[in-house]
Amino acid sequence: MGRSSLVFLATEAARNFRRTGWVGLSAVVLIALSMMALGAFGLLSMNMGRAITQWRERVKIVVYLREEPPPSAAERLMERFRQIEGVGRVRYVSKYEALSRLRAQLGDQSDLVDRLPTNPLPASVEVGPTSEMTTPEGNRVLVEKLAALPEVEEVQGSSEWVDRLAQFRRLLMGIGVGVGTLLVLAATLTVTVSTILVIHSRRQEMEIMRLVGAPESAVWAPLVLQGLFQGLVGALSAVALLAIGYRFLSPRLIPFFTETLGFPQVSFFSWLEILVLIGSGGLLGAVGGFLARGRVSAA
Amino acid sequence: MIQLHHVWKVYEVGPIKVTALTDVSLKVGRGEFVCLVGPSGAGKTTLLRLLYRDELPTEGELLVDGHEVATLRRSKIPELRRMIGVVFQDARLLPSRTVFENVAFILQVLGAPRKLIAERAFECLKAVGLAAKAHAFPAQLSQGEQQRVALARALVKEPLLLLADEPTGNLDERMAGEILELLRAAHQRGTTVLLATHRVSLGASVGERRITLHAGQIVADSGSGDGT
Repeated sequence: MGRSSLVFLATEAARNFRRTGWVGLSAVVLIALSMMALGAFGLLSMNMGRAITQWRERVKIVVYLREEPPPSAAERLMERFRQIEGVGRVRYVSKYEALSRLRAQLGDQSDLVDRLPTNPLPASVEVGPTSEMTTPEGNRVLVEKLAALPEVEEVQGSSEWVDRLAQFRRLLMGIGVGVGTLLVLAATLTVTVSTILVIHSRRQEMEIMRLVGAPESAVWAPLVLQGLFQGLVGALSAVALLAIGYRFLSPRLIPFFTETLGFPQVSFFSWLEILVLIGSGGLLGAVGGFLARGRVSAA
Repeated sequence: MIQLHHVWKVYEVGPIKVTALTDVSLKVGRGEFVCLVGPSGAGKTTLLRLLYRDELPTEGELLVDGHEVATLRRSKIPELRRMIGVVFQDARLLPSRTVFENVAFILQVLGAPRKLIAERAFECLKAVGLAAKAHAFPAQLSQGEQQRVALARALVKEPLLLLADEPTGNLDERMAGEILELLRAAHQRGTTVLLATHRVSLGASVGERRITLHAGQIVADSGSGDGT
């Protein structure tokens, strides 16, 4: 296809878009809304995903010991722990260290600790599971293995809450995809309707195009291009609005998320993800235009 | 150029059958100027529509420049139409485009280079005497002028065959004469012209060869087409 053909097709597509008027514009708005909905849910899910990964890495199992081992035996015990499959990092917490932590946690009321006749806190081992064991099943297996050791009194800690959060994230993503899909369908239909309007207003032109022997692609390509153009404009608007929202809201939201959900930071899409979002919008519009193609044959 | 062998065209409207062409056979040679004369309903328009594959014959064989039109694959229709120019009784110009754009549009959709489009469009407008009105819109032109633009549009792609269906039907004698002159000029340049008209006098004045159609049948032919 020559340069002049491309220029012609692009000019015709722009002419078509002008002809669609408000219907064409509402298609752009709907595409923008659907891309925004998908983008916003995507952003939230992406950030939650990152946080969940970090939380999983921080999951620890606390193994309380029946008796505090002497310092020389403690190191041997740690070595036995390390040899258990699924155990990553290991840290020994003596009775003394446990009491010091409690003192630090109590702050102003730390003198309460000093009034205790003896140290009631047990010695413990903090175990970090390997990445393969951060699943609910892996976590359960590891807890059982640790509880079976003769030195162990009690084992606490699991990643259940992280898994519940991961489930919540999946639910949120599902809602996002559901809402986004509905909007995408509505946007595609609107592009199709606006394209059909163009077909009706261009009936005479199409008749002449066919009469002079224009290839069928030259008849419908401007319609697909028009849809593509609507989709790209809609998606670009969505990305711009999301970026503006991110810029203004993230400084206010980061402290809130850090407090509540422990998000270390809220990040925006990468350039590649932005391109995918814009490309999806374009594709959505082009599909809308393409679906109207059937009407071209009828016109 | 054109060959029809026992061509029939029957339209079926519900239970009613209307025969538009009855066993029509004819040959038109390359470079001929043929005037197809007959009253309204004689089958002239149907015959032209069969030639540019706007309609399919009910029966018979139809060849245009070697293309078997009736059995032509859908994807090959544009190829056939690219060598045919068509002019109708109504000019059918695009109202939102200027005279120049109407003519250039044809070359644009056929993917001609930009420079050639401008050159050819102006050349054709000059040939029909409307270069000065290139930037006017169809509504600003007289009917005769509009028909001249339609002719320029049909000729801009330099067709081998020009089909003119009552191109003077809406015009007065003077304007009709101008259009006929332009058709003659196209013929002089080597285009095969098939002019359908109900004006018997017009047919007599221009046609080297005159074919008379009546009720879908050829009732008179002043000559037979040679060549292909």
